[in-house]
Parts: sequence; structure tokens; C-alpha cells
Amino acid sequence: MDVTEILKSLTGKFPEAISEATADSEIRARAYVDKEKAKEVCQYLKDALQFDHLCSVCGVDYIKRNELEVVYHIASYDHPVVLMLKARLPRDSPEVESIVSVYWNANWYERETYELFGILFKNHPNLKPLVLPEDMLGEWPLRKDYEGFPNKTARNLV
Amino acid sequence: MGEVKEKKTSKSDEISEEIPGVITTTTSAIHNLIKKSKAQDIINWGRKNSLWFMTQPMGCCGVEMIATGCAHYDTDRFGIIPRNSPRQADVMIISGYVTKKYLPALKRLWEQMPAPKWVISMGDCSISGGPFYESYSTVQNIDEIFPIDVYIPGCPPRPEALLQGFVELQEKIKAKKDRGTEY
Ligand code: SF4
Repeated sequence: MDVTEILKSLTGKFPEAISEATADSEIRARAYVDKEKAKEVCQYLKDALQFDHLCSVCGVDYIKRNELEVVYHIASYDHPVVLMLKARLPRDSPEVESIVSVYWNANWYERETYELFGILFKNHPNLKPLVLPEDMLGEWPLRKDYEGFPNKTARNLV
Repeated sequence: MGEVKEKKTSKSDEISEEIPGVITTTTSAIHNLIKKSKAQDIINWGRKNSLWFMTQPMGCCGVEMIATGCAHYDTDRFGIIPRNSPRQADVMIISGYVTKKYLPALKRLWEQMPAPKWVISMGDCSISGGPFYESYSTVQNIDEIFPIDVYIPGCPPRPEALLQGFVELQEKIKAKKDRGTEY
């Protein structure tokens, strides 16, 4: 299975949900997915296109567009293509369906994306902070408008 | 596991009973007497030659700390032995960045250590935040939280530097200038 075949199959199956599907090279592809359909697309990728390895889930804050993006990197053990799947979410209520039921290892990735960006993964089995303390929840430190950095260096330095 | 309560030993806290014709004393009065006498020199000599440190790596500096405890550097000749339990340790080495999430655990470890105890601040991270001084998740100014005796700069400091830090701590204890005991 090569990259054009994969993209053709994907856009053929989800003509509405998948947009801007492009192949960057023989082994890299990218596509935008409708946020409502993210889980279904992942299920299809896993079942029909042998994308059985989720490499990462992360977020990007596009503050000028007033959008957050959640990015999935999905690869395979059978063919060399790595697919970068992105979903646009509105900045004021970023919500997307959790894909833990498809890829179990998304659990911690989604928790971390949640605590750092505030992207809410619906139906996640255990959506609580992973590496940040509980009382920092709601600060979303990796968003571009985060203000909570210490504004001066440690006293010892000066 | 019970919480270890901090005990303050100062003369004003305890009211000694007055019995006419009998000179009474209290434990803290004896302690204070010893602290001012030559006996304390001998006690400190013993303390400085058995600085057991807690193996509690926190960042990349922790790797150097473990390396220092291994056979190659033979810290045993200074009486410095790595221990795995805070209950057996005399020295806590803050070896790396202190994150907001980790600080409560670190405080708990510190409270579990029996006095007399000392803290060494190892690496730029624990001194000032180091490469993470502007991070949202690290704690600044650790010296306000723990009574740090020795600062070892470096990112990470070499094992020799850590050894030097221990030697400095020994000098401080010998000179009764350390912050682990109230003299
Ligand atoms: S001082 Fe440097 S080596 Fe030590 S914990 Fe910080 S970053 Fe790591």
C-alpha cells in the first residue's frame, strides 16, 4: 500500500469529513478531519488501512485564527506511511471525541494535551492531569495567551 | 506512617518547675549546655564523618549523584554513603528541578528524615531554576523552603564537584556554621 492509494481510499470513504489531503512524500501524508468524525476516521484507518500505531497526540494553538488544532500522528507496522491527521477546534469550546477506544495508548497523550491546552476529550475514561499538579488545571500553560510565567528570575541570580 | 512533627528546642518554650533548694534541669537545657561546650566538637566530628545521603534523583543531576555514590568515586572514604530510605539519611541532595507537583513529596521526604539533617542544593536548577527559570511548572527560590547549606553550581556538576560540596559541608559542620543545628 502506498501513499496515494491510502489517501484515495480515505477520501473515498469520507468525502465530507476529510479535507486538504496531501502527500508530502512517499512516506508522509497529511489531512484535515472534521472534529465530529475524528474517531470514525481513526477506526477506519486502523481496521482497513493498517494504521495500527498511534505515535502521538498533541495540540497547536493558532491564536490569530481563534482555533486550536489537535494533531494525531498515526503510523503503521506494515507500510512506511506516517499520516498526520489534524482537526480544527474552536478556541472557546475545544472538544473532540476521545480515541482511546480505538488506540488505547491515546490515554496519556490525551490527558497531557488536555492539561496543557485545555482540549476536552469527550468520553475519555480518566481525564485528569497527568504531569501538572491538580491546582494548575484551567491555566492551560501551552496556550499562546498564557500569562503565568514567573516575571523575574530567581532572587539568587540578582 | 505518622506525620513527623517539627520539634523546637528552645529554652523559653519549657517552663521548669521551681523546687526550693533543688536545682532542676530540662533536656533542652542540657542540650544547650552541650552545644556550648567542647563536647559538641566531638559530636560534630562524628556527624561530619558519617554524612549518609538520600538517593533521590530528581533531574539529570540525579544521574551524577548516583554516579558519585558508585564505587569509582569511593565516597566511603569520607563517610559518605548513599541510602535508599529517608529514615536512614542525614543529607538530602536537591538534585535537579523542583516542579510544583513534586514539591509536596520532597517536603514529605525532608520531614521523614531524622535530625540532625542537612540539605545540599546541586545544579543550576535547584539554585535558581537553571534552564527552566522561566517555566510555568518549576518552583523558584528553594532556599526559602529548605535550609540549604551548600550550593553546587553546574549543569550538571561533576561528581568531583559534588564531593567538594560534601567536603565544604563537613567544614561547615566542623566549624559549627551549618544550618542543620541551632547553636
Ligand atoms: S542543573 Fe542541568 S543537569 Fe542539573 S537537573 Fe538542571 S538541567 Fe539537569
